[in-house]
Amino acid sequence: MSGDLLRIEKLDKTFDRKGKASVEALRGIDLTIGEGEFVSIVGASGSGKSTLLRIIDGLLLPTAGSVHLDGKAVTRPGTDRAMVFQQDSLLPWKTVIENVAYGLTLAGADWSAAEPVAQRFIDLTGLRGFESNYPHQLSGGMRQRVNVARALAVNPRILLLDEPFASLDAQTREIMQTELLTIWQESRKTVLLITHQIDEAVFLSDTVVVFSARPGTVRSVIPVPIARPRALDVKRQPAFLKIVDQIWNMIEAEVRASMKFNT
Amino acid sequence: MRDIYEFFEQDSKAAAGARISLSVLCVLLLWQFVSVFISNRLLLVPPADVARALLVEIQRGAMWANAVATVTAVGTSFVASVLLGIAIGLALASSRVLSLTGGPVLSALNSVPIIALAPLFIAWLGLGFASKFVLVLMVAVFPVVVTTEAGLRAADKQLIEAARSFNATPMQIFTTVTFPYALPFIVSGIRVAWARALVGIVVAEFFGSFAGFGFAILSASQTFDTARVLGYVIVLGVMGLFGSILFETIERRLAPWRQE
Repeated sequence: MSGDLLRIEKLDKTFDRKGKASVEALRGIDLTIGEGEFVSIVGASGSGKSTLLRIIDGLLLPTAGSVHLDGKAVTRPGTDRAMVFQQDSLLPWKTVIENVAYGLTLAGADWSAAEPVAQRFIDLTGLRGFESNYPHQLSGGMRQRVNVARALAVNPRILLLDEPFASLDAQTREIMQTELLTIWQESRKTVLLITHQIDEAVFLSDTVVVFSARPGTVRSVIPVPIARPRALDVKRQPAFLKIVDQIWNMIEAEVRASMKFNT
Repeated sequence: MRDIYEFFEQDSKAAAGARISLSVLCVLLLWQFVSVFISNRLLLVPPADVARALLVEIQRGAMWANAVATVTAVGTSFVASVLLGIAIGLALASSRVLSLTGGPVLSALNSVPIIALAPLFIAWLGLGFASKFVLVLMVAVFPVVVTTEAGLRAADKQLIEAARSFNATPMQIFTTVTFPYALPFIVSGIRVAWARALVGIVVAEFFGSFAGFGFAILSASQTFDTARVLGYVIVLGVMGLFGSILFETIERRLAPWRQE
């Protein structure tokens, strides 16, 4: 845990829409993430969490402010960051191993070089035996493992997770959370997770960042001083529940407001 | 009985073969049945007479000569239609301005019965290969253009974003996401194009040619040789069927995830 890996300073993002009022998604975001840290951002829908993640990944440019990874300004996608998307973003015509190797082959690696790397992350994510299956033959949980393996395979400095378990059922989600922790502990990656599940954020993270909605601002940064390694029974401990409660109280009003906004 | 029914429902090759055989058999039986009541042999001849006429054509060597003329003309112009169609579709999908400007013209051309212009093409290009080639091209190119453009535009935004996230170049996004996604669409366009090309070639040969299935059908009907007319129509039908089965198989192979 040496120093800051990701530094976001005074970041604003406003979307200009043709013929309509522009939308201010993010305002004055300041955030730093240390090497090896697991940080989550929670907030009501419409708080610009996903927008921030896309800016860090380089898919979107901020209107003002900056993102620095390891001292270098981020202006475009790169293999020092890798994203795991909420929706299924696997190539349906490629096998599991080809999908896991996708980032490597895009970066110009030969199959002979990419394959052993892909195989290593297939093993790490518990996909051994499914190498030559196609995504449509896998369950939702297995597909998200492939997404995680694909992101890890390019050996990024930071892993960006955009509500990766949102489309999974509750039981699968819990299993995937513990597996993500195991993977994180083995790979020692820095992770930034976006989620709307408060208990998921607290369970996984060293630090939970609470966003306010419309425009998204950093409302609070809450450390999670629960010992690691954590197993699922952590979720029943009073210390855990207290932090979840604290965060829920912060965003309850905004979640209610956003429900009205969306309907 | 129930076993037979279940066998016919299966997804196997044997079952598919059995289904085709059964439907052909039903058509032949119906045909035979109707031709018992319609005894005017100028209007309808029974299947056996048609088979005999086809055999005679093969023995005379006429079948071979006509097949060579038709297949070379339709084959070359079909391949050209596919290549040109994909090229135009690519151009339209890559430029919004081009698509909006050229789109209406293309859909107007597509809705005009180009077949009706066959006499004009022959007047312009003469009797022979060139007029056949252009007529088939004109009717067969549009389905490929339309499906290529639609397929390229249909590519999953999520997949494109994921590719961009891995720092893919626009060319890499095209080769690894957009084009593979569009391929099954394109093949379905090619399947339609093949059926249209067969209609195109027959009409082209009606109007101006000295060989080919269309020419043979026209000359047989002018001598009221109904058996020969039906025989050549059946040959064309078989060509259409084989093309359709082939392209459907390719379509399924390219997009197995769509079936489940």
